[in-house]
Amino acid sequence: MLKFLKKYWWIGLIGSMFMVGEVLIDLIQPRMMARIVDEGILAPVPDEALVWRVGLKMILVVMLGGCCGILSGVFVNICAQHFGNDLRKACFERIMNFSFEQTDDFTTGSLITRTTSDVTQVQNMLSQLIRGAVRCMMFFIAGSTFLITLNVAFTKVLMFTLPIILLEIAFVVWKSGPLFTLLQRRLDRVNSVIGENVAGERVVKAFVQEKSETEKFQKANSDLVDTQFRVLILLSWMRPIMNIVLNVATVAVIYIGGQQVRARGMDIGQLMAAITYLSQILNGMMMLAMIFQTITRGIASAKRLKEVLSSRPVIRDGDREDVPLKGGSIELRNVSFTYPGHHHEVLKHINLRVEAGQTLAVIGATGSGKSTLVSLIPRFYDAPEGSVLVDGEDVKRYKLDDLRSRIAFVLQKSELFSGTIKQNILIGKPGAGDDEIQKAASCAQADEFIRLQQNGYDTPVAEAGMSLSGGQKQRVAISRALLRDAEILILDDSTSALDLGTEDRLFKALDANYGHLTRIIIAQRIATVMRADRIAVLDRGRIVGLGSHGELMASCPVYREIYDSQLRKGGRRA
Amino acid sequence: MSQGRYTSPSAPPSLGRRGPMARMGMPVQKAKDSKKTLRRLTGYLRREIRYVLFLCAAVVVGVAAGVMAPRFQAEAINRINDPTLGKLVPVLVMMLAFYLVYGAVTLSQGYISARLSQRVVKRLRGDLFKKIVNLPISYIDSHSHGDIMSRMTNDAENISMIVSSSLSSLFSGVLTLLGTIAMMLSYSPLLTLLSCSTVLLTILFTALITKYMRKYFVKRQKLLGKLNGTVEETVTNARTVTAYNRQKAEVEGFSKTADELTKTGIIAEIIGGSMGPVMNMLSNISFVVVAVFGARFALSGDISVGVISAFIIYAKQFSRPINEIAQLYGQIQTAIAGGERIFEILDEKEEDKSGGKAPRPLHGTIEFKNVNFSYVPGRQVIKNFSLKISSGKKIALVGSTGSGKTTIINLLMRFYPIDSGEILLDGKSIYDISTDELRNEIGIVLQDTVLFSDTVRNNLCYASRDIDEKEMQKAAALSRCDDMIANLQDGYDTCLESSGANLSQGQRQLMTICRAFLSHPSILILDEATSSVDTRTEMDIQDAMAELMKQRTSLIIAHRLSTIQDADEIIVMDQGAIVESGSHEELLKKQGRYHKLYMTQFAGQET
Repeated sequence: MLKFLKKYWWIGLIGSMFMVGEVLIDLIQPRMMARIVDEGILAPVPDEALVWRVGLKMILVVMLGGCCGILSGVFVNICAQHFGNDLRKACFERIMNFSFEQTDDFTTGSLITRTTSDVTQVQNMLSQLIRGAVRCMMFFIAGSTFLITLNVAFTKVLMFTLPIILLEIAFVVWKSGPLFTLLQRRLDRVNSVIGENVAGERVVKAFVQEKSETEKFQKANSDLVDTQFRVLILLSWMRPIMNIVLNVATVAVIYIGGQQVRARGMDIGQLMAAITYLSQILNGMMMLAMIFQTITRGIASAKRLKEVLSSRPVIRDGDREDVPLKGGSIELRNVSFTYPGHHHEVLKHINLRVEAGQTLAVIGATGSGKSTLVSLIPRFYDAPEGSVLVDGEDVKRYKLDDLRSRIAFVLQKSELFSGTIKQNILIGKPGAGDDEIQKAASCAQADEFIRLQQNGYDTPVAEAGMSLSGGQKQRVAISRALLRDAEILILDDSTSALDLGTEDRLFKALDANYGHLTRIIIAQRIATVMRADRIAVLDRGRIVGLGSHGELMASCPVYREIYDSQLRKGGRRA
Repeated sequence: MSQGRYTSPSAPPSLGRRGPMARMGMPVQKAKDSKKTLRRLTGYLRREIRYVLFLCAAVVVGVAAGVMAPRFQAEAINRINDPTLGKLVPVLVMMLAFYLVYGAVTLSQGYISARLSQRVVKRLRGDLFKKIVNLPISYIDSHSHGDIMSRMTNDAENISMIVSSSLSSLFSGVLTLLGTIAMMLSYSPLLTLLSCSTVLLTILFTALITKYMRKYFVKRQKLLGKLNGTVEETVTNARTVTAYNRQKAEVEGFSKTADELTKTGIIAEIIGGSMGPVMNMLSNISFVVVAVFGARFALSGDISVGVISAFIIYAKQFSRPINEIAQLYGQIQTAIAGGERIFEILDEKEEDKSGGKAPRPLHGTIEFKNVNFSYVPGRQVIKNFSLKISSGKKIALVGSTGSGKTTIINLLMRFYPIDSGEILLDGKSIYDISTDELRNEIGIVLQDTVLFSDTVRNNLCYASRDIDEKEMQKAAALSRCDDMIANLQDGYDTCLESSGANLSQGQRQLMTICRAFLSHPSILILDEATSSVDTRTEMDIQDAMAELMKQRTSLIIAHRLSTIQDADEIIVMDQGAIVESGSHEELLKKQGRYHKLYMTQFAGQET
């Protein structure tokens, strides 16, 4: 984390120097004030000219102090904000290079908070440290010095009050830390209950659970409110106690000062200055408490950011430059796979070869490992056992960009970005011309409905594609993949929301226009898979059948079962 | 410099001296009808009248003590200066007593306002939630979920902040102002006038800087929103970003926004940060003014030295509430705007749940009679739809996307009211049956698989918590999700994270089917409930369903024809009307639209 400060530490240093200047000037003023009172007003012969002279000087000094204050703000800000910006960018870049298992580990929500609010917390901590902490320390050190040089007798007051204040601060910081964490958790819970109820209102209503959901919410709400109350109460102790300590100390200073004045040890003006110093010192302490809170939160955030920044991407570039294009054959050799952190083996000793330009269909039950199998090809995950080859070369040896630019992948869940439909398709091949886009879209059977949208291709896709139906989203995602000009096309059950007619037209157009691509198609319907050159039947992580439709009907009982289940020819299975 | 800084009794704890300034710069939103909203908000306070009264009393005592205390300090200094005026110690004792009272009152004030604000916000949030669960589906469908969320969280939070900190600050600010002016006037009207002059400067400066600050804070807020949006989208869509090598492009876009944000942030913070030093400067100038003129008046014998000391404190006390009230103004405006948005929802009409009991025993005969319906007036979705479903039958609805299949379900569930016609359940209009009764009889599995962040068990037993273990496991086995649940970390007690996002679509569908099974419905509706489930598992589930739904009615929507082939009757829909109906065999014989659909499914396949 410190390396991000390297570029900017000197700006911060300048900022804190100006802060020192501001504080010093703040501390000189009570002395000038004392002069006005003692030598101007209370002198045996009152000296009005001196009052004016010192008064004007004071205003000048105050102006200088103000300038110092503003400049310190400018420098500290530049330092902290640039630091935060670099940190934020580094964090985001790292996340972008995470592999899926890392993203899954951190969870999406936590990655979002880390790049946004955690960075802000750390940035706040930095500016608090160089500004607030310097200010506090200066007030404390210089203020005490000034106070004691006024009269040594005041040391006693400081010796009694400071420990009390420090103890109080320590207590509040110690108590509030865990409370803030708890508060955040309770808040998350309330938000999640609300979110789920808004998103799942149909289910709530269909199951007539309005009452129990309200109860659930009231509980979360009460928990939140109770915690918030505890935080507020804890913090509300702070100020009155500080005030009482401060004011008792003031009384003590007046008492001691009174004795001193009588003993001719000091003047009235000096006594007034002493009261000011005292309140400056204690106010400085009070600020320290707030700074501590920022720092506690900042440190927690810094830890969370460090976790992100210190995790190396698990999946990294290989060493081969420029592997020649050979049409995109794919081979899996004895591949087994278990998701990181799970014990259940998803793929078991898979051997499979798809020749360049061939089409392979994959069919199998929910959870049989179909999606896992294809996600090994673009290295979304790395297989710990066995090897995956593209064009005869192990995928781990490719540069990731090279490998992935050869593959057009359509995910099971269509992910659309805010922006227009056109921008979403263009993700496949930035800079593609309109005719290319249209060709891809017509082949994906998307052109027609896109043209019917209000602004055609320039219609914005609302929040996460809310305005498009499931089938429409899938077709936009397919258009994107077709535009890519890749050697390999992978469709991961990505036509499930299309009606049969549309799906049929889509596959016919694929054959006609993109017949040269090596294709892997995951599907549930026999009608979809039987078009392929070969079909792989997956069952509990193993390939239990491989061949054409006819071959499988003859040799693979699992395939026949699937077929029967769709045709219901043989009646119900026993 | 700060001379005798007596912290105002209820200023909210802030992060250093720049803290409250930042809040002040927050974009202020204006309400359309502030008066009415304010009245309703005070309605919430009125229900907590006990706390409000206590708070007011505490504020009055606190302000009185705070205003009186400097008087004793002045007196003490005078007595030190001129011992003939009397003994010092009694004055100090009085001073101490006042400060203790002040401290105690501040504490209770903090306690009461915390209680008050938490009670108000709890009730407000509770009311809002109760409203939201009871709103008609059409409201949820037609409003952005993010917007509804932010009303429940941010807007409610803003109001809570106002109640907890600002209410008493405002009250005590005004009182302190009045009290201080009175005190100052009693000492020296002329000096009062002079110290007021710098206060005027303060007000002017605050007004000026706030205007500029607001501009940049609004811009910063917008950029921050954009940045957060980018992060959210790219992280959520990480798979696509990776698959299409978009990382570099996304990082570039992010950096551009981030740089812009930094630039705006620096300007905003510098303007905001200059506020503190400038205020400091102004208060020091006011100090010099008091000192110089105080000296002059002291020289001429108009006032004592002690009075100068008291004045310096009063001048401070005087400018503080003015600063605070200026800040509060913006906050209060924002809170009222938030309140208005909250009341907008609270004023929405609730879903019509009225009606009597469902016929018992329920046979499950459903009849649609000439039903017409449109979501948007003028664009009719369901046209003169008539259909009779006898009890115990399995009916399938097929047709292309947008043909109105799901709409029929929406109407049957009373999610949306029909425009004309009748829907009868066992001969009784569904509008004469309360929604609770009606929906209790119907088990439904929806297109989008909604699960809750709760244990698997609670998700499955959603309809009723009294379902016993055996029954649940049996249903899980029937819906084929028992194996998958057994593979989860803690089986049925596994907590689903973020609404079950870590499960595959097929697995989620199986769980929602199990959930519907466990609601023991008289009528079961499956709306594309098995689209991501493989056909063999689906067939198993159907066999189980046939057993389970014997004597009961089921209604199934599916694209996959294999799902519905053995239905008693298949209804083919197009553009909101029925175009064909009959059994699978009958429809095939007809060589109509169903036949065409069927043929596409098996195109190229020898039979």
